[in-house]
Amino acid sequence: MKLLEYEAKEILKEAGIPVPKGILIRAGDDACAGAAQVGDLVVVKAQVDVGGRGKAGGILMADSSTVQDTADRLLSSCIKDVPVHAVLIEERIAIEHEYYLSISIDRSSGSPLILFTASGGVEIEEVARTNPEAIRRSTVHPLLSDVPGYTIRYLLNGAPKELGPVINRLYQVFRSRDALLAEINPLVTTPAGVYAADAKIIVDDNALARQGISENRDLTDRERKAEEHGFSFVELDGSIGVIGNGAGLTMATVDLITVLGGRPANFLDVGGGADRVRVAHAVRLLGSMPGVSVIIVNLLGGITRCDEVAAGIIEAGVSQQVIVRLAGTNEEEGRSMLNKHGYRMLDTMEEAVAAAVEVAR
Amino acid sequence: MIYADRNTRVIVQGATGNQGSFHIGRMNQYAQSVGGCGVVAGVTPGKGGKESGGVPVYNSVKEAADAHDATASVMFVPGAAAGDSIMEAADAGLELVIAITEHIPVHDVMKACAYARMRDCTVIGPNCPGLLCPGEISMGIMPSHLYTRGEVGVISRSGTLTYEVVHELTRAGIGQSSVVGIGGDPVIGQTFAEVIDRFSEDPQTKAVVLLGELGGNLEEEGARMADLPVVVFIAGTSAPPEKRMGHAGAIVSGGEGDANSKIRRLKALGIPVASRLSEIPGLIKEMV
Repeated sequence: MKLLEYEAKEILKEAGIPVPKGILIRAGDDACAGAAQVGDLVVVKAQVDVGGRGKAGGILMADSSTVQDTADRLLSSCIKDVPVHAVLIEERIAIEHEYYLSISIDRSSGSPLILFTASGGVEIEEVARTNPEAIRRSTVHPLLSDVPGYTIRYLLNGAPKELGPVINRLYQVFRSRDALLAEINPLVTTPAGVYAADAKIIVDDNALARQGISENRDLTDRERKAEEHGFSFVELDGSIGVIGNGAGLTMATVDLITVLGGRPANFLDVGGGADRVRVAHAVRLLGSMPGVSVIIVNLLGGITRCDEVAAGIIEAGVSQQVIVRLAGTNEEEGRSMLNKHGYRMLDTMEEAVAAAVEVAR
Repeated sequence: MIYADRNTRVIVQGATGNQGSFHIGRMNQYAQSVGGCGVVAGVTPGKGGKESGGVPVYNSVKEAADAHDATASVMFVPGAAAGDSIMEAADAGLELVIAITEHIPVHDVMKACAYARMRDCTVIGPNCPGLLCPGEISMGIMPSHLYTRGEVGVISRSGTLTYEVVHELTRAGIGQSSVVGIGGDPVIGQTFAEVIDRFSEDPQTKAVVLLGELGGNLEEEGARMADLPVVVFIAGTSAPPEKRMGHAGAIVSGGEGDANSKIRRLKALGIPVASRLSEIPGLIKEMV
């Protein structure tokens, strides 16, 4: 889960990484009084989980006479369709130089990976494309609790020494907060010292419980329902609803629809050993999507009981046509139950997807 | 076969839960049908002295391994405790741990895998269906009735997708040497490259099917260094950016790992990529 900027900055501050003086303002709060504690010249930043927030108008300059208006304006707006519930009012700092620092996970070595460059302030992908030699990268052995000194010297590559402690402190944050990404961009030097001017932290969803974080994302009603039932669910914009078991098989089903010229409406993985209740919930969920004209159920597994799955499909009784491909235990029982109720059950994934694409046409 | 054979003596960590006891039974059914050793003991802290799935349960890996000469483990321990269990197995001297468990915090996986490597213990997974060498051994949760013994190795990040492809191969008369589910998490013990290395040294294996998906670039890394014929399938070509497609590792992040550019780069290396699963048996037959 991605934390908002102000949450990430609170964490950095606690870890001893300086951040600009700032205050969080929500609708109805007195922005003027807040800004007075921060300074005369301020930046007002929308707290939304949106990439390219600055370009989309989510970061505005203000002073003590305009800060209330500016905050109110942002708080009643949307940035790339995401409503703004809070803004961060920060002092403007006198930037001398912008650096980039991040710690993420290197899949190839299974270790933390630190990236540092003196070309900060822009997206790291941009630097990687235009000036790859400017980026220094180093992995750290996962069992080390500190970044070794020689690694820090290598990363800094002549940049001011005062940035060194920031690298190690961010590494502590990365480890102790179960982060998938801890990024400071830009990390700036000013006459008054070093600051994390912007910050991004993504916390591992598998560690939210031990981090004491309750997930509070903006979900659609359907996404919330899917989560309640424990489905992996992603909405797409086509007309063919997809239910599969296992992420890979479900993805491959969605892909095959596209390959055969259809348009998938979603990705839904019901998980292993799906019983009639789960299957019925999944079919009803897709049946409630307005754009869906046909649903394909593609389940394969050793322990999935086809008679249970068939019962779930029949119980859901949605108005759309449901095309079924089932392989597993009690396959024949499942088939005859489905046939009796007028459902089409096909033998292979490819036949079933082709049939669904045909119906959608 | 790679990693294990019918003589491998296996323990199950997390033996007394529903999954653990159910799959001990299934693994031993398979072992019986091929004349193998199978699962010889289980481990659940605090449940020592009990029985599960027909095998004795011990409080620690060390006790179980010592009492039964076991060298490998299949793990069903819940996510929060799983990192710890991998290290326990490595410390007890096991050579192989197959971690079926899903939802292990990735920092735990990084530490446990690094620790196991220092102890010369090989970790497969986590979040994987395990290993099946037809005619030799089943270590995990794969549906063995779909498999036949043969010459094609399969490596996959996903469970059911593997079964689908094995099913297609078997129906086309192509048997498998070993099928390895390496797991759907961002950090895994054995990557494509490491499994391909094993297949290269295995006289039984003549070609490899590599089933990947969006996220990361481990497929390219593996396919690039294979000295066996390789056929690749990449799932997730129609996935939107920044959305997690079921697996923790199946996400395009920081502009890295989208399925279509992965396929383009593989093709540029001259590696055959199937655009649908049904093409895989044909591509294999062309190459072997």
